[in-house]
Amino acid sequence: MFKNEEMEINLGPQHPSTHGVLRVKLRLDGETVTHCRPMIGYLHRGVEKICENQSFFQGQVWTDRMDYCSAVANNLGWAEANEKLLGITVPRRAQYIRTLLNEFNRIASHLIWLGTHAMDIGALTVFLYAFREREDVLDINEAFCGSRLTTTAFRIGGLREDLPPGFEKMVRKFLAKFSDCLEEYEALLTENRIWKKRTIGVARLSAEDAIALGVTGPMLRAAGVAYDIRKAFPYAAYAEMDFEIPTRTEADTYARYQVRMAEMRQSARIIQQCMDGMPEGPVMAKLPKILRSEVNEVYHATESPKGEIGYYLVGEKGSLNPYRFHVRAPGFINLQSLPKMAEGGLIADVVAAIGSLDIVLGEIDR
Amino acid sequence: MSEPNVPQTPEAAEVPAGPYVYDYKAAPYRQIAMPKTVPLPSYRTYVAEQKAAAEADEAKWQKTLADYETAKAKAEAEGKDAPKPPVRPVPRKDDNDMKPPVPQEATDADLLKLKELLGDKVEEIFEQAGELVCQVKKEAIHEALTFCRDEAALKYEMLADQSSTHYPAAKDFACSVVYHLTSISRRKRLRLRILVPEGFAPESACSLYPSANWMEREIYDMLGIRFQNHPDMTRILCPEDWEGYPLRKDYPTVGWGQRDIAFREDRGGMLERIALQKAGQLGINLKQPKAD
Repeated sequence: MFKNEEMEINLGPQHPSTHGVLRVKLRLDGETVTHCRPMIGYLHRGVEKICENQSFFQGQVWTDRMDYCSAVANNLGWAEANEKLLGITVPRRAQYIRTLLNEFNRIASHLIWLGTHAMDIGALTVFLYAFREREDVLDINEAFCGSRLTTTAFRIGGLREDLPPGFEKMVRKFLAKFSDCLEEYEALLTENRIWKKRTIGVARLSAEDAIALGVTGPMLRAAGVAYDIRKAFPYAAYAEMDFEIPTRTEADTYARYQVRMAEMRQSARIIQQCMDGMPEGPVMAKLPKILRSEVNEVYHATESPKGEIGYYLVGEKGSLNPYRFHVRAPGFINLQSLPKMAEGGLIADVVAAIGSLDIVLGEIDR
Repeated sequence: MSEPNVPQTPEAAEVPAGPYVYDYKAAPYRQIAMPKTVPLPSYRTYVAEQKAAAEADEAKWQKTLADYETAKAKAEAEGKDAPKPPVRPVPRKDDNDMKPPVPQEATDADLLKLKELLGDKVEEIFEQAGELVCQVKKEAIHEALTFCRDEAALKYEMLADQSSTHYPAAKDFACSVVYHLTSISRRKRLRLRILVPEGFAPESACSLYPSANWMEREIYDMLGIRFQNHPDMTRILCPEDWEGYPLRKDYPTVGWGQRDIAFREDRGGMLERIALQKAGQLGINLKQPKAD
């Protein structure tokens, strides 16, 4: 009657906790996971190939659609990589506005993570609170560039438009209430006994493993490595901003939750500084009408809410489109660490591990 | 309610009996424009190109001067006014914020250290747009990565990205493979590059940097480069039975093979019939295309 057999099951591709179409092949011994193999590619659209066949400007709409929760961060990395390739200097005011929108995007992405991650684990209430504030961030996106999710916010060389009238009032209103909102979420989770039981000590990933597996972002910082590209290789206006890198040393799901909550506070600080110190001036560099590249290859990495998003571009002499367009998607690399976290744990903790990775399959499959 | 003005559907007799065949080979999205140049940044090539351009410029100027001298002598002999002396043209300066970065000689300590360690295995070493680039021989990539990871003066702990590019116009190689290394403790980035010919399998970086696992699988999936000693060399984004390597330059944007099936199996011209019927309902005449 009692057999000592291992069972193989598929988690996904159509499972609500996999945040898209991720399929995880699990081999189970009772409730313990003995083998875990993530299988991806269900959302592969060939973004790299498409962008190689379009002009430098046209690639941006595809970066929106890779990680649709943090479109502005993807746009920023794309714009800066192209500027590095073509050798363009961006005006200071544009840098400030980019930084501001990028931090708003970090808040929106972390909020959607908080809501869905808590819902995976069973805390349903937080979802509604988190989406209430996310709505305000999307309104700010809409006020700036007309769209809420797939923003296409920037242009190569700066911005298309300056800030709209009434923008500052919206931002100040948001900042005034946001710290109270964060306390609301934390009141629901931080000392919640069930939440702590489901997250503390779950899905550990040590700093050595994380670095070896190329894991970046909040996952790495929760393991005690203070590596943030905004500080290590400053871009946009981050060199002029005063903020801290929140780190924890426990390297478990709870530590990742704490790191992301602290990051949202730092983002609000950066937004405050951007708004206070916003310089005057033009928002677009002086550029020729048609951009033609020289022979050059660049790799530009920026800190997206999920980790390091890098664009590797190769330019051909006199060409209107990039010869090679490669995206180093943070989710793709971070997902490699799932077997390390899940093997040896319980099957219910696989869901917590996937949630703490904060993956979006659109960017993993590209 | 009165009857709406619906155009009559075409008669069944008007529908052609033969199969509907669309010439996919001639479809515009299938046309591939193969690249004619090899956009591989290199300091050596850049210096050679600059030298050749300067020499050509000088030769042109000398020719202009010689032409002027002959014209002057001719005018003097004929007793006419001397022609205007030529002015050497100054290169036009564009008034914009765009200054494409050019390769520069390697001065960074990391690159010099790497050159010292690897010796003649280094093929190319330079800096461009603030990035450090080191091209090594394709057999020596494992050794170079080991030095980068373990040498106390280098200490590149993380392999951030690995990617590949197809260069069909190149003669002695087919693809480049680039490794983007990050040193978290020293806040530095370095790019290693190898050039691999068709069919060559470079040594996998998995034993040194486990993050290379999926990135090398992606390179194999997209460009068809196999890596030696890789634990699991299978496709990752495309299905296992996919034909071809999509990021190669000879692969059409729309892919090939997959889309033709529905039409190829349409032996009786069913799709054509449906299309004509729908068009008739909408009042569109598909049978007579507009004259150009």
